[in-house]
Amino acid sequence: MIRKSGIGLAALTLGLLASVISAKADFWSDAGAKYQGVVLHGVTESTPPSNYIKDVLAPEFEKKTGIKVEIETTSWDQMYDKAIKDMEAKTGIYDMVYIEQDIIYAYLARNFLVNITQSLKDDASLKSPDFDETHFTTFANYFKNADGDLFGVPMEAFIKVYLYRTDLFNDPKIQEAFKAETGKDLKPAATHEEYTQIAEFFTKYGKDNGLELWGTTAQAHTGHPASWYEFFESVAPTFGVYNWGIDAGNNYAATVANGGQMNSDKAKAALKYWLHLRDIAPPESAASTWTEVGTTFAAGRVAQGLVYGENAAWIASDAEKSRVVGNVGVALPPTDAAVLEEVKGGTGYLGYYDGGAFGLPITSKNKEAALLFLQFIGQDSVQADWAVAAPRITNTATYDDPKVIEMDKQLNGYYSMLKNEGKLFAGAPPFPFHAQVREATAPIFYSILLGEIGPDEGLDQMAAKAEEELTNLGYRK
Amino acid sequence: MRSNTVGWLMLAPTIAILAVFGIAPFIYVLYVAFHHWNPFGADPLMTYNGANNFRRLVFDREFLLSIAVTIKFAFFAVVSEIILGYLLAQLFMREFPGRGLFRTVHTLPLIVAPIVVGSVWRLMTTPSIGIIPYLLKTWFGYDLNIGRDAGAAFLLTVIMDIWHWTPLVTLTLLAALLSLPKEPFEQAQIDGANRWQIFWHITLPMIRPAILATVFIRLMDALRTVDEVWMLTSGGPGAATRYVGLHIWKIVFPKTDYGYGAAISVIVLYLTLVMCWLLYVALVAPRQKKEAE
Repeated sequence: MIRKSGIGLAALTLGLLASVISAKADFWSDAGAKYQGVVLHGVTESTPPSNYIKDVLAPEFEKKTGIKVEIETTSWDQMYDKAIKDMEAKTGIYDMVYIEQDIIYAYLARNFLVNITQSLKDDASLKSPDFDETHFTTFANYFKNADGDLFGVPMEAFIKVYLYRTDLFNDPKIQEAFKAETGKDLKPAATHEEYTQIAEFFTKYGKDNGLELWGTTAQAHTGHPASWYEFFESVAPTFGVYNWGIDAGNNYAATVANGGQMNSDKAKAALKYWLHLRDIAPPESAASTWTEVGTTFAAGRVAQGLVYGENAAWIASDAEKSRVVGNVGVALPPTDAAVLEEVKGGTGYLGYYDGGAFGLPITSKNKEAALLFLQFIGQDSVQADWAVAAPRITNTATYDDPKVIEMDKQLNGYYSMLKNEGKLFAGAPPFPFHAQVREATAPIFYSILLGEIGPDEGLDQMAAKAEEELTNLGYRK
Repeated sequence: MRSNTVGWLMLAPTIAILAVFGIAPFIYVLYVAFHHWNPFGADPLMTYNGANNFRRLVFDREFLLSIAVTIKFAFFAVVSEIILGYLLAQLFMREFPGRGLFRTVHTLPLIVAPIVVGSVWRLMTTPSIGIIPYLLKTWFGYDLNIGRDAGAAFLLTVIMDIWHWTPLVTLTLLAALLSLPKEPFEQAQIDGANRWQIFWHITLPMIRPAILATVFIRLMDALRTVDEVWMLTSGGPGAATRYVGLHIWKIVFPKTDYGYGAAISVIVLYLTLVMCWLLYVALVAPRQKKEAE
């Protein structure tokens, strides 16, 4: 009798579970039923995570809901060009736009985006049971307003890390040569001095041995903002210059005279340090953006370098594109000991936490259907495969997925570093004038790179120009 | 009266298209040029600021520099294309084995999109991996680095433009040469004129309208070049190849300074018109004066 009741209870439980699961599975088809015939249009940068949305998630969503999704992947510049024009002119072409972390403040200032949290509260029928904003990593905070409402569903997040070649660093002959030359053991650099010493050693080692090998990467393009970014987002912070040296709380001061840091002694020391590294980097560095830095490392032409996380992953794992698979180590960027303490204390940051989200333009003509799609790509269940196909993590649970743990081993602990040390990195400062100040000061920066003006004088000019531009924009009074 | 109406009706679609896509945008650009408008400024609205944008232009070193390098670029590119195009057109006037094939191959760059041309040249010139730096290093020991050598980057943009657009000049001048009557040339030969005299006194004056039209087209194109150069150098190193089209793009799009960008666009249009007019006066007026005498 008891056994019979037990079996009955188990059957009832299974039945209930099945009905709940089926109700959950049916959410997408039920929610999508109202929007049959709708075609959603999205624009994003052509990156592996975006291509995964286009090739895998969009067709999957379409299959489940019947809502067609067309994702346009294009270059970084074109993506912004198209999205901003669409939202500014209120044409309503796009239902989803890629929002890189550094532009979210400008978009929020212009009220370009729909408040996702509020919209889902307003219409509960659109809320998927599988979507939970609390499941995102802290990176999602960049896409929230002061009230904690979400304006973009995170879809990629990386840190710019220090990569080094384990095969070179562990080679006994090279270790011996390094010891003989410097009196030190060869290990990943923790300070700027160590990094410079290793870079100088390998550049000389490559030259002496007729190898196509240099000591460091340098994202030092002389006409593209990539070089500006490398300096202000990856190098200057390790010297204690944060937020590009602009003090938002002090009337957006950039010059030391007015309370800023852009032309401070620390900034000048950082620039000289980086210019020296550029001089001992491979020749292509002067024409390298983030992409070329990745390919330079993958081609085995450098011993170490600062590389964006999205590239670090394929460099370490994709044998079709990289010659250094299995030979890539990951470490924190070298910094001053005092700065590291400062960063651990929560004052500054060590490097760039890069990434982006998918947002819903206020001008979209298909907001409800687009909200469904945004929730679809934000679910925990789609994250693990996505993280393996296009290494990025935006949901906390993804770290514990067996596939991701396996991938982490291949990447020599990159995901672990993202999880444990991610707090030491930061996104771009919360400025709504991001591109404007960058473009105003970049020509002077390129002149410094070309040696047309010295680094000290150049940074003085840049700080003054930044203040002039901020005054012109109306932020600096 | 009737024919007049029909004529206007026939022209109406063209006039409408011109008004919608040519005149209206121009008037709008002119309107914006007299405003301060940056949607990412503290005040994102368009506010009237008189001629301030134009006043700012006069003191803008980057803008003046971009004008100077653009004129330099246009001069070297157009002159080279006209000379090379004429020589190639003369070559195609002659019979030689494989002429048809050579003519087809020579025309191929014309059908390639500028952005693709820029990408291909970038691949060919990237330091360390490009074939051009490799060959220059192997044959002449010369280190070509377009990221650091401003002169080399400028020269490469000129060469790229010549490679892309010389076929257009060749085809135009070839058509002009083929349409010339034989009699004046036979007459000159009978009179004992040498090759140079025939070229200077007969060929050149007779194909002058074709040359003029080609120069105008190429000059206007060269003054507004953007995509090829954007792909190859992004305007660098420094401002060495930041031609005015690229400069406007940077002001209007990444910097979103719409008012100032519109003012630059208006001034550049004006400069282009002035340059074309000066060229027209220089090339056509003496001839007309001579004919009148």
